Amino acid sequence: MTSAYRHTTKWLAIAPIAVMLAFVLVPVLNIFSTSLRLDSFAILSAATTRNIVWFTTWQAFISTAIVLVIASPIAAVIANFKFIGRRALISLVSVPFILPTVVVGAAFLELLPRSIHRSALAIIIAHVYFNVGLAVRIISSRWQQIHPQLDDAARTLGASTIRTFLTITLPLLKKSFISAGLLVFLMCFTSYGVVRILGGPARSTIETEIYFRAMQLGDVSGALVLSILQLVVVGILIFLITNIGKAKASPKFGQTVYSRMHHPRSSRQKLLVATVAITTAVAVVTPLMSVLHRSIYLGQRFDTSAWRSVLVDTEIFSSLLTSLRYAIFSIVVSSIVGLLGASAIVYGSSRYQFVNLITSIPIVLSAVTLGLGLIITFDVNPIDWRGSWLMMPIAHCLVAIPIVIRIISPVLRDLPNDLRDASRTLGATTWQMWRTIDLRIITPALITAAAIACAISLGEFGASSFLVRRNNETLPLTISRLLSRPGDSIQAQAYAISTLLIVVCIGIIAIVDYRDSNERGI
Amino acid sequence: MNQNILKKTVLRAALLAIIASACANGSTNNDSSTGQTDTSSQSESSDEITLTLLAYDSFTPSENIFDAFTLETGIKVEIALGGDAGELVTKAALTAGNPQGDVLWGVDNTLLSRAIESKIFSAYKTKNIDDLDESALKLVSNYDASPVDTGDVCINYDIKWFTDRKIAPPLTLRALTSASYANLLVVPSPITSSPGLAFMLATIAEFGEDGFNEYWKQLRQNGVLVVDGWNEAYYTEFSGSSGKGKRPIVVSYGSSPPAEMIYASPVPATAPTAVAALTCYRQVEFAGVLRGTKHEREAQLLIDYLTSVTFQEDLPLTQFVYPANTKAKLPAEFLKYSLRPELPLQLDPKLIAAQRTVWLDIFTNTVLR
Repeated sequence: MTSAYRHTTKWLAIAPIAVMLAFVLVPVLNIFSTSLRLDSFAILSAATTRNIVWFTTWQAFISTAIVLVIASPIAAVIANFKFIGRRALISLVSVPFILPTVVVGAAFLELLPRSIHRSALAIIIAHVYFNVGLAVRIISSRWQQIHPQLDDAARTLGASTIRTFLTITLPLLKKSFISAGLLVFLMCFTSYGVVRILGGPARSTIETEIYFRAMQLGDVSGALVLSILQLVVVGILIFLITNIGKAKASPKFGQTVYSRMHHPRSSRQKLLVATVAITTAVAVVTPLMSVLHRSIYLGQRFDTSAWRSVLVDTEIFSSLLTSLRYAIFSIVVSSIVGLLGASAIVYGSSRYQFVNLITSIPIVLSAVTLGLGLIITFDVNPIDWRGSWLMMPIAHCLVAIPIVIRIISPVLRDLPNDLRDASRTLGATTWQMWRTIDLRIITPALITAAAIACAISLGEFGASSFLVRRNNETLPLTISRLLSRPGDSIQAQAYAISTLLIVVCIGIIAIVDYRDSNERGI
Repeated sequence: MNQNILKKTVLRAALLAIIASACANGSTNNDSSTGQTDTSSQSESSDEITLTLLAYDSFTPSENIFDAFTLETGIKVEIALGGDAGELVTKAALTAGNPQGDVLWGVDNTLLSRAIESKIFSAYKTKNIDDLDESALKLVSNYDASPVDTGDVCINYDIKWFTDRKIAPPLTLRALTSASYANLLVVPSPITSSPGLAFMLATIAEFGEDGFNEYWKQLRQNGVLVVDGWNEAYYTEFSGSSGKGKRPIVVSYGSSPPAEMIYASPVPATAPTAVAALTCYRQVEFAGVLRGTKHEREAQLLIDYLTSVTFQEDLPLTQFVYPANTKAKLPAEFLKYSLRPELPLQLDPKLIAAQRTVWLDIFTNTVLR
C-alpha cells in the first residue's frame, strides 16, 4: 500500500530497534539470566502470592466497571449535544489521565477522610479518577460516528429513546466499551504509584510486590517470577486490545464525523447536559483545588511561603530544572525514535511488524524489572552509565516511545496513497514527497505525541525512583520525599510543586486538543 | 546474546584485573608507608578525587561536616542517597564488585548478614578501632564493615494521654496485647521500614520463633494499626508528637523523647513522651568500603573520618543516634532526656539473614491479610 518508501524501511527501523535492543531487551535478558533461579517459582503457589494476584485482579475489575458506568453519560452528552464549553469539558476530563501519579496520590490524601486512607476504596477512587477521561474519549469518538439517520429510522418506526439506545446505539458501541474497558483494566492492573501512596502496607498489587520482593526482601529472583506472571497477564490483555482495535472499522483519513450533535432541545435535555457537564467538571476539579488549597494555607492561615520556597529553595529549584531538562530530552528523543518506528511499521512490509512488537515491550514490563536490568547491565566501560544522569531520561523515553508510535502510526496509515502517487508523477523525490505530504499531515499527531512524551517525562515515578542519583531528583520524586517528611510547611511545599505540575498538565492537554481536533490518540 | 554476555564478561574481567593491580599497588605502598609517605601520595592525586558516599535517604549530617575531612586530606565527599536502607543494600548487592559509590553508610544489624554474604564490602580495620563500642564490633567478623552508631527501637507512649485517663502506660511487649490497650498502638510495617523490622525482631527475641506469630495474632485482635513508614506512624498517627494523631502508643526510637524536647519551641516543662525500656531492640549501623572502588585508600580514610570523634559527635543531634566511638561526647540535653536500656533485645545477625524472608511472610499473612 505504501510501497513508495518501502526500500527505505530498513534504514528507518534501525534506530528504534537499536534503542529497544540496547536498553530493554539486553538488560532484561541480563537480569533474568543472572538472577532468576528455578526454585523461586515456588512462590507462585504461596498463599501470599494468591492474595496479591486476587487483590490486583478484583480492584482492577471494580475500578474498570465504575469507570465505564461513570464514563457513559459523559460520553453520551459529549457525543450528542452541542453546548458552550463542550471542547473544554473534553479537555478537562482528560487532564487526570496525564497527571503524575504522585500528584493524584497527594490530592486524594488531602481530600479523602483519614478513615479510608490505606484502603482498597482509596485505591479504587483514585483509579477511577485517573481513567474516566480515557474511557470517555474512546467511547465518545465512536459514538460520534454513529449515523444519526439510524436513530431517526428507529424513532420513525415507533421506538422510544431508551429502546433506540438499547437496540441501535449500544450494540454499535459495544466494541468501544470493550476496548476502553480492557485498556482501563490494564492501567489499573499494573498501577504502581497510586497503590504505593494510598494503599498502605496491607494492600499490594503484583507491581508493588515486585518492588517489595526485590528491594526490601532482597529476593530478586522471586520478584522476577512475579514479573513473568504480570508479563503473561498483560501480554494477553494487549493482544485482546490490539485485536479488537483491528476488527473495529478504523476511522479513515478524512472520514465524515456525522453531525449527530445538536443543541439540547427540550428542557429535560438541557437539564441533563447541564447536570452531567457540571458534575463532571466539579469532580475533576475538586481534588486539584484541594492541592492548590493545601499549598497556600497552613492550617487556617493564608501563607505563600511554600510557593516562595519553590523558587528560592535550591533543592526544589534544581529538581525543577532537572525535570525540565529531562522533559526536553524525552520530547526530542522519543519523538524522533517514535516517528522512525511508526514509519517503519507503516511503510514496511509485514516483515516489519516485529518492530511493533519489540517497541511495545516497555509497556508490558514491570518498571522495577527494567530498572534492575539497567543497573546491572550498564556497569562496565565503555558504557558505564550508572553514575550518569542519562539513565533516567532514557528510561522516560522507553516509556514514551511506544505511546508516540501508537499516536503517529494510525495517522500515517490512513494517509491515502494517491496523494503520494500524484507527487511522484509530478517528479518529486522520495524525500520531497515525504516532507511535503506525510510530514505535513502528521504534524498535529507529532505535536500531540511530543506533548504526551513531555507529560510522561514530567510525571514518571516508578523507574525514576529507582534510577535517581546524586543531584538529579525530578519533581515527582521531590514531592514524594517532601510528603513523607513531617511538618505542615514542608508538606505545603510538596503541594505547591504538585500545583505547578497540574498547571503544566492542563497546558499540555490544551496544546493537544487545540492542535488535534480530530480526537485521535489519547 | 551469548556473544554479548561473553563480551561483557571479558570486559568485566579486564576491568577487575586493572582494579586488582591498582589495589595491589596501593596496598604494597601502604604496607611500607608511614604517615609521611601517606600525605605525599595524597598530594599527588588528591586534587581530583571526589568520593561518593552512598547513604539512605534520611542521612542528614550537618551541612559542612565533611569540610574538615577535605581540608585534612584534599578529598571531596559527595553524598548519594539511594533509597531506604533495604533498597541501598539490594542495589549494592546487585552491583557488588563494581559499586555505584566508594563508601556505604547505613547497613544496620538486620541487614548486615545480607550485605556481607553478597560480598559488597572490602575489609578494612579502621585506625579508630580501639575506641569503638565493643558489643557492636562483635557483630562483624573480619572487619568487613565498621560500626558507626547505635540506637534503640522502643515502644514510646504519650505521657499526658495516660495520666489524663489514669491508666498505667504499657511497660512490656506482653502488656500490649491486653484489653486496656486495645486500638492504641501504631507500628511501621517491618516490610517497608527499618524500625518496623527492628520491632518485629524484638517480638521474636522476646517470644521466640515459635511464639511471635501467636503474639502478632493477639496484637491484631487488639487493634494494632500498621502503616508504611516510621514518619507516618510517629508524626501522623501518634498522639504525642506534632501530628496529634489518635494513638498514644507508637514504635519509635529510644532517642525520640529528647528529640521532642530539643526541637520543640517553646521547650515544654516536662517531656511529652517516654520510652518503655523493656521493649527496646538494639540497632547498630555500619559503614564500609565498597569492594571494587577505584579509590580504595581514600575510601579507607573516609571510614577513619566517619568513625572519628569529630564526625561521631555530630550524630546525636542530627541523626538522633548514639556514637559508636566511645570517646565522642554526648550533648548534655541529649543525655538528659534519652534512655539507654541496659539489656536491649537482640538477635544473631546470622539467624536474621537466614530467617528474615520467612518471618516477614509469616508477619504478612498474620497481620496484613
